[in-house]
Amino acid sequence: MIFAPPILALFLGSLLIGAMLLYASVYGIQVLKKWDIKSGSELQIILERKTYLISTIVSYAFAFQLLSLFLFIYTADDLSKFFVGAMCAAGTLKVNSYGYPALILKILNFLLAGIWLVVNHTDNRARDYPLIEKKYMLLLLITPLILAETAIQGMFFLELHPNVITSCCGSLFSVEAAGVGSSLASFPSIPMKIVFYGFLAATLASGFYFYRNTGIAGYIFSLLGTCMFIVSITALISFISLYFYELPTHHCPFCILQKEYGYIGYVLYALLLTGAVSGMAVGALMPFRTVKSLETIMPSIMSRLTLASMISYALFAAIATYQIIFSHFRLEGY
Amino acid sequence: MKQIEAQRNILDFTLSSLFRRKGKNTALVLVYTLIVFLLASVMFFTHAIRNEAALTLKDAPEMVVQKLMAGRQDLMPLEYLEKIRAVRGVSSVKGRLWGYYFDPYFGVNYTLMVPGNEQIKPGTIVTGEGISKNRAVEQGDFQAFRAYNNNTLLFQITRVLSSESALLTSDLILMSEQDFRSIFGMPRTHVTDIVLTVKNPRELGTIANKIVQLLPDTRPIMRDEILRTYDSVFNWRGGLLIVILSVSVFCFVIFAWDKASGLGAEERREIGILKAIGWETSDIILMKFWEGVVVSLSAFLLGILLAYAHIFFFSSLLFGPVMKGWSVLYPEFRLVPFIDAYQISTLFFLTVLPYTVATIIPSWRAATIDPDLIMRS
Amino acid sequence: MIKSLEVGKVFNMNRPNQFIALNGISVEIPAQRLTVLKGPSGSGKTTLLSILGCMARPTSGRVMLKEEEITSLPERFLAEIRRQTYGFIFQQFNLIRGITAIENIMLPAYPTGEKRTVLKKRAAGLLEIFGLENKAEASIEWLSGGETQRVAIARALMNDPAIIIADEPTAHLDTKLSQEFMDIMQKLKAEGRTLIIASHDPVVYGSAFVDKVIEMRDGAITDSGAKA
Repeated sequence: MIFAPPILALFLGSLLIGAMLLYASVYGIQVLKKWDIKSGSELQIILERKTYLISTIVSYAFAFQLLSLFLFIYTADDLSKFFVGAMCAAGTLKVNSYGYPALILKILNFLLAGIWLVVNHTDNRARDYPLIEKKYMLLLLITPLILAETAIQGMFFLELHPNVITSCCGSLFSVEAAGVGSSLASFPSIPMKIVFYGFLAATLASGFYFYRNTGIAGYIFSLLGTCMFIVSITALISFISLYFYELPTHHCPFCILQKEYGYIGYVLYALLLTGAVSGMAVGALMPFRTVKSLETIMPSIMSRLTLASMISYALFAAIATYQIIFSHFRLEGY
Repeated sequence: MKQIEAQRNILDFTLSSLFRRKGKNTALVLVYTLIVFLLASVMFFTHAIRNEAALTLKDAPEMVVQKLMAGRQDLMPLEYLEKIRAVRGVSSVKGRLWGYYFDPYFGVNYTLMVPGNEQIKPGTIVTGEGISKNRAVEQGDFQAFRAYNNNTLLFQITRVLSSESALLTSDLILMSEQDFRSIFGMPRTHVTDIVLTVKNPRELGTIANKIVQLLPDTRPIMRDEILRTYDSVFNWRGGLLIVILSVSVFCFVIFAWDKASGLGAEERREIGILKAIGWETSDIILMKFWEGVVVSLSAFLLGILLAYAHIFFFSSLLFGPVMKGWSVLYPEFRLVPFIDAYQISTLFFLTVLPYTVATIIPSWRAATIDPDLIMRS
Repeated sequence: MIKSLEVGKVFNMNRPNQFIALNGISVEIPAQRLTVLKGPSGSGKTTLLSILGCMARPTSGRVMLKEEEITSLPERFLAEIRRQTYGFIFQQFNLIRGITAIENIMLPAYPTGEKRTVLKKRAAGLLEIFGLENKAEASIEWLSGGETQRVAIARALMNDPAIIIADEPTAHLDTKLSQEFMDIMQKLKAEGRTLIIASHDPVVYGSAFVDKVIEMRDGAITDSGAKA
């Protein structure tokens, strides 16, 4: 294992976050079993006090979880110089079989953590904890995922031996190779552009509609918002990245995180993640918009989430389009 | 999260209550700052020196070939040079003359070298800064060296190498080829090792393989490998120091927990009053959150600033030796300041995260004080 | 205004030091009137006061505020009601040391999220009513007993509450200040607020404009009726 400080930091971070969530989950189960908002008994008072603690712990844990995704990617990128054949995070993650699973899990947990934080915030604005059961059930779903992530991330770092030869993003994301990366890279670009802009238009349209007349449309918007995340990443690998690298064969989704490209990758991914979390959160809250104690605050929360999602995706598309138009690279002759 | 105004009001009150308990909070901030300072110093140093190594090695030769005998480096015969020159893809080959000279009086090893890009006048030498300081000699002075056959040879110092290059040249002595061979008794048919350049850098690996096949008793060393090794070493040493310092982080965490749990009577009373007049538990938790932010932020910033000054202005007095390695001849060098968001976020995870975790439960205990506490007492 | 039905309060239930503070208390606090809870220390009047003031929940029985049941509301809800409907004056005034008078007065309104300038204006207005404008920025420690009393009352009025609750407000005051206190209470009653004061001070319960006196002893009501 490489003894670098960032790896130690990530290790420590994951362990602490995992421990916090485990603690919170154990108490959460207790709360779930005995919770009765109507009773004024001493037990209920104690449980209410406990929920403050649980909510606080989980909020902090998830906040750090969000940060750790970025630190993880940066670390993978920084460590690439230790591995023959790696030029960016893509190579580092390929060194052993835990790298990409760790990344996927981390992204998934980021999204789930974000949704939980939104649900928690909503629950706190109401007076009688309307969402408490759903909240804790979601927590019980997320905790094992986080623990799995801690384990896999740990294995990834433990099995990171500097002399292993790994693949460069050039071969992972090239059109000829086999594997998911290259399938994404080899989507023909004109259809891909149509799909990307099409989805963008659909997402924005449904967002506007939902913004105006809140109703069932929320589910549609949420679904589109979620798909937009995947479509955007595919688009990024398939054609958007080409315009940043100004090379027809460089499809790598990680190299844009590097200094040479102005760290634009971080901006793009932050926008995508924000868009995804807010879009998914709309879907998560939709079933509860009729709950009485949430009536007054739901509309404003929904509209803010919708706006956040739309703006994030729009900005992402704007930056990508800007690059497409103004870059020196020309694909398909325009 | 309530509206922004409520946050600002609570933050305002938090600041004033922090100042009201200056003694307790100052101790906490000081210890916190110390922890950040220690960890940040290690990290800045590691990072900066890795950078330094990378920069200086940039101009190192792409590949060096050495001859081995019984697993150790042996002198390279000149015929090998010609054989290697004939390998396809090699654009130039040059022999290097260098070696170690042990000075028993000072207990130090000097590196003697014949420079490839200038001619040194026989009978004169150019020395590195470390040597001139150590032996208290300067330009114009004479230095004696004992040759392999016990002869004493005298050289005049014509120049001392600048301190800017100290990292590489501190213990270096440059001399002419014939003086070199006189001191070590190296025959004219051999050189120490060979450096070569290739037409296509991507072919380095292939060429190295070809050389080993052609001359099985040689060992090619590539610059990137050296880079990686140095990087690894500094990384490893940095990591080791952090693991050692983790003990202190642990103690700090316990200290923080203790301070947070030890709610003084006055503070308890204040929270009781706040809850009685209508502050909710979540408002108190918010207050504690802002307390944590203020304390963490000040300690973090202060710690980083101090570490920056420590490493880049005071040359890491405290643990330079561990990181740089033991050596009698110390190059005095100033590291180029280099910090980035990467290091800051790593530091954040190593310090602020443990502190926050340690204070969650004590904060919550404080926040769940009964509103009727004030009435009862 | 406030009704309690068979309210009981037990501390440390099921433990060796179990203590029954209140037992079967059923009282009615009339709106816009001054009610006094009278009784020696240990009679449970402070406990009853905290239950009527939304600060604690009874272990048995029910509490109604303006015909709405508040007995088993979650703490979050209770705190909000407490902040909006009640103003408290404590035995030792319990102002926060180290901050100014005007800041002390603004405190109850901090969590509401109103703009600071608005709060400051309102607090200044209250200070003016009590003749303390020039003490706004003074630190609490430098105020006289009477001034502290008035700041405490001003704080209780910050959120314009319908109900004022005071617990032994005159316990540490001389007769003159006690009288001043009751004068202020009279003014507040005239403004249409409901007042509940727990006290065993004759200056308080013997005052002319007390509407109802509830006598307590050992956790039970001994006499609850119009002013005797």
